[in-house]
This record gives sequence, structure tokens and C-alpha cells, in this order.
Amino acid sequence: MKVAIFPPNSLILADLVERKGHEPLILQKEIRKKVTDPEIDSLPFNITQEDPLKGLKYAAIEVPSGVRGRMSIFGPLIEEADAAIIMEDAPFGFGCMGCSRTNELCVYYLRQKKVPILELKYPRSREETIEVVNKINTFLDRLEAENG
Amino acid sequence: MLEKKSQDESTRMVILGPNANLSPAELVHKIHMMGLPLTIKSTCYGALIHGEKELVERAAKEIREFDPNNIFLKERGFPPGDPRRCRAHRGGAREGFHQLEKEFKLLGYVSEALSKPQKVSLYEKKRIDIKTFKKIAEDIMRV
Repeated sequence: MKVAIFPPNSLILADLVERKGHEPLILQKEIRKKVTDPEIDSLPFNITQEDPLKGLKYAAIEVPSGVRGRMSIFGPLIEEADAAIIMEDAPFGFGCMGCSRTNELCVYYLRQKKVPILELKYPRSREETIEVVNKINTFLDRLEAENG
Repeated sequence: MLEKKSQDESTRMVILGPNANLSPAELVHKIHMMGLPLTIKSTCYGALIHGEKELVERAAKEIREFDPNNIFLKERGFPPGDPRRCRAHRGGAREGFHQLEKEFKLLGYVSEALSKPQKVSLYEKKRIDIKTFKKIAEDIMRV
């Protein structure tokens, strides 16, 4: 199953999903398409005219172009998702994850999509981490049991 | 042609957890011993492998077997040594490194949880209402 993860560039989430034989919908795969495209020559400003237009599907015209640009990458990932794991309050916000409004919009779209969702808080201690890992594994096992 | 080639390639970061039985040098040596036509780069956190998607996937599965609970894998968008990201060219750590640094702090606990898996409830524990609590207390008192 294709499992959307949030933050979509999280090592821990992507690794745990992959361990259970599911496909994590990670940002890096989408970014790779952009950064290895020979037609885009002004990198790292790797956005084309078409991207904000694609983003219009997810955010209105008056929304800042940064949000629309980001949504043009996140949006298709969300649409592909058969399930989702959302980790709130993650302490990192670098690069693609640097826009808080886009992050809120992504979580909103994931919740709107009628797929199984596991919502967690980013762990801060040993106990919390162990609980989060066990919850993710239980959720992924359940997905496998339900869908074969 | 170039576009097709780059889309068929993949880059994976191999991250060693703090309790791993391998050092990055040993890891790189073992990956070399697989004899696959991959670009392998030794890094402070483990290694970076780059090559054809199928070969990278095959290598990834075998790499996990070295130390299943202490080796973590993550896809990377930029190829190794890319001047837009490589710190040798641009100076300072790349953005992904800061995130890796943050997540690395939890990897030891993640390994611990993976080595002792437990089934847990996915529902949040809620407080019971007073009536139920009173009933439970009365039942215990009777016994």
C-alpha cells in the first residue's frame, strides 16, 4: 500500500513504513524528478511556470505562490495515498518543510481524504519514542491484515 | 535521453544508528564486497549509494540484513556530490543534514523499540467518568 507520511521527508517514518513492505510516499522522489530534469537550468530555483498552476488545484490564487509551488509537489503525493501517518509538532522545518501554512494545508487534505490515518505527536523522550514506533508498527500490520 | 537516465536512477542514504555493530568504514567495505555497479560514498552517518533503481533496491535489502534494527535507509533527491548540495562546493551543511541530526537523536530509542516489538492500542486512553469509577470501587470493596 502507498502510505503518505507527514513530515514527508522524515527518515524515521519512511524507514518504518518500508520495513513493513509498504511504499512510503516521500518528498525526495518528487524532488528528484525536479532536480534531475535537464530542462530546468536555474537550480535550485527549480520551479517552472506550470508548478504554481498545478498548485491552484489545492490552494486559491490569492494564496502566496510559495504555498502553491509547494502544493504542486505535495498535492500529487497526497492524492496517491492509500493510508497516512501524520506526526505533529515535528521540530524540523527545513527546505521544503519550511512553510507552516503549507504544512497545515497538507494535514487538512490528508484528513479530508477518506483513508486510514494514524495521528501522533513527535516523540521527545525514550518512552514516547518506543510508544510511537509500536503504534506505527501496529497500524501498518493492521493495514496489511485488512488489505492483504 | 538524459532525463530518462536520471529518472531510472536512485540515491539512498544508509544511516547507522548509535548502537550499530558496524562503523561507516566497515559498512562501506561490506557494500563494496557486494560487487554491484553502484557509486558508494562514505559519510559521517554511514554511506550513500547511488545507481540504477533496481540495483539500489537490491543493495538496500542486503544492507538492512547487516544489522536490521540499527540500519536506517532514506531516499535522497539529489545525487551524491551534486554541486548544488555538496558542502565541498557550497560550504556548510546541507539542509537535509540538520534534519538528520535531529532525527538521529531518537534513532537509539527506535532501534530499542524495533528489537522488542509490542502490540499497542491505537486509541488514546481516556479518563473514565465518576459513575464508572464509583462502580469499580464498590465492586472491589465487596470482594
